Amino acid sequence: MTEQPDSSGRVASGNPRLDAILGGGFPAHGINLVVGPPGSGKTVLAQQYVFHNATPDRPAAYLTTVSEPLEKVLRYGQTMAFFDASAVGRAVFYEDVGGLLGTEGLAAVLERVDTLLKERRPAIMVVDSFKALTPYATDQGGFRRFLHSLAGQLSAFPVTSLWIGEYDSSELSTAPEFAVADAIISLSSDRVGQRELRVLEVLKLRGSGFLSGRHAYRLSEAGMDVFPRLADPIDATAYPLGTERVSSGIPALDAMLDDGYWPGAATLVAGPTGSGKTLMGLHFIVSGARRGEPGIIATLQENPTQLQNIAQGFGWSLTEDGIALLCRSPVDLYIDQWVYELLAAIERTDARRVLIDSLGDLAFAAGEETRYREYLYSLVQRCARLGVSLLMTFELPDLFQVTRLSELGVSHVSDNVVLLQYLRQPAAIRRTLTVVKTRASLHQPQVREFTITPDGITLRDEDPTDSPLDRDC
Amino acid sequence: MSGRPVYSIGAVAQMLGIPPATLRTWEERYGLLAPERSSGGHRVYSRDQVEQPRFVKAQLDSGMSPADAHRLLAERVAAGSVSLGAPEAAETRLLILLAERDPHAAGLAEYFLRTEGYEVVAALDAAEAARKFDELIPSMIVIDLLISPGSGLELCRQLKQRSGALVLAISTLETSDQALEAGADGFLQKPLDPLQLVSAVKDLLGASAFLRPSSARPQ
Repeated sequence: MTEQPDSSGRVASGNPRLDAILGGGFPAHGINLVVGPPGSGKTVLAQQYVFHNATPDRPAAYLTTVSEPLEKVLRYGQTMAFFDASAVGRAVFYEDVGGLLGTEGLAAVLERVDTLLKERRPAIMVVDSFKALTPYATDQGGFRRFLHSLAGQLSAFPVTSLWIGEYDSSELSTAPEFAVADAIISLSSDRVGQRELRVLEVLKLRGSGFLSGRHAYRLSEAGMDVFPRLADPIDATAYPLGTERVSSGIPALDAMLDDGYWPGAATLVAGPTGSGKTLMGLHFIVSGARRGEPGIIATLQENPTQLQNIAQGFGWSLTEDGIALLCRSPVDLYIDQWVYELLAAIERTDARRVLIDSLGDLAFAAGEETRYREYLYSLVQRCARLGVSLLMTFELPDLFQVTRLSELGVSHVSDNVVLLQYLRQPAAIRRTLTVVKTRASLHQPQVREFTITPDGITLRDEDPTDSPLDRDC
Repeated sequence: MSGRPVYSIGAVAQMLGIPPATLRTWEERYGLLAPERSSGGHRVYSRDQVEQPRFVKAQLDSGMSPADAHRLLAERVAAGSVSLGAPEAAETRLLILLAERDPHAAGLAEYFLRTEGYEVVAALDAAEAARKFDELIPSMIVIDLLISPGSGLELCRQLKQRSGALVLAISTLETSDQALEAGADGFLQKPLDPLQLVSAVKDLLGASAFLRPSSARPQ
């Protein structure tokens, strides 16, 4: 447990990503407002802070008012992993002030807070729900006077306060508690297609910077887990570039690429369905692993069994080759959660190569074009700085005659682009491969026919544009 | 809390009965008793740092040489224990004048000091504080430097010059340097932690309370 605010004057939540958004945590000794609709996780967030920080020497006082019965707070609270029943009554003191409010009004709350500060000497005080106090004032002036007194009481003592309320956005500019608060955290949701994506946003934070924008979060029995929006600004600082070229895993393609890709490069493999994109990615990962370069297959397309089955068809064993799999469903995908899992896997395995299969799933889950562009740019930049070579697949909608290489600026952020296409023949369809772009490198721009054999992708020697096949197309 | 710098060299000298010049000499010669410096270069001691010269003095009083006393201190520091225990508050109830502009803060500080057995009188502005000081002759005055805007430092300076009163300066702003220059014996930043406030008051009153029992105002 964290007993005291850190040197930056912040109270950490125990969730490093949430603290990163808040610049270290909630401002210590400040008044922090957590707002959102019912079920958005306000009480979970407050209790997470309480149980992470409270100690017998620096306890927490958790005051419930009239919208959140204490019994309910405790009943659901104890289902959370962070809830420590043995701390209740020792380091965490729950108290229902709803009864006091009903009989004696807001003045009794002030009196009770004063007593608690003197007797309990809490380091954290939660009021859940704060908004429910409003109707107990006879008029707006009365509530402002109450607010002023309460803020004065709390400012005179080293206590970090969390006020929780079901406020809506229209109240931001009118409710006086928003002016008093040192930090305001909003919990809400965005609609993406047919689903709701939970989002946390810092609306106000006095005294320091914070990560702006809407950050996805999930609630589970572990509490609130937040995924800071991956949106890195341009970083002009230099970073080491490797000098040894990275093989694509296909010797003939390496020859077209001037002996492979640059290390840390992002390569886009675009093509229609079934054209061999995933297989090209497997070549890249398996050949790297066999050279001692750990790899990760991050797939939103196949499950591990399907992937193993594909690999075995070409004589590869993903487990034997020490390749890490990050298989996730595109259903209800949070792109920021996914990317933090990927970055953690890179760190854990010291991966040098990563296959992302496929970008289309990420674009769909992002829901919004600008968000997807900044996300992909940030991911590519982070991998480049880590020296991790990326191979990203992207499915093109047209089976024949590609009119657009990629959507949403994917080719723009990629260092290399390899295009896979079908060539139509009267009696058959053939596959071709073209290196369209290699940044800071030479390449052979021919259109090369390839076949898929038990050895994987095999490039044919002749240029299909010179063959009768293409003259027929 | 015990590691936070609070006390001026004058206050430490008074607490321990060691001249400031001796404290400086020990610091330069043996390098152990080195307090932090404020931005203005003033020595500011934490509670832990008060314990160390207290330990050295106890060894000297028992006949040990300064060099041996510092050698022993170094051993104790390495072993993680030099405490001799802070002096207990005097049996007589000591009067503390609390010059605090914020009624909430004054109420809390008064409560915490009273629970430790001190008599407390509060004044909400500088003029009232000066009047009550002359009238009651408290053992110590706690001054919020932001009292009667701009008057806290002047009040601190005046009372020190006039009576040599023990002054604990407090402020929401980190102005320890200005406080020490104005003669304050210690400085605490607000909001005040109850234990920190009580410890600082006890430390500052510790030695002087024995020296000046007549200044106490029993109820």
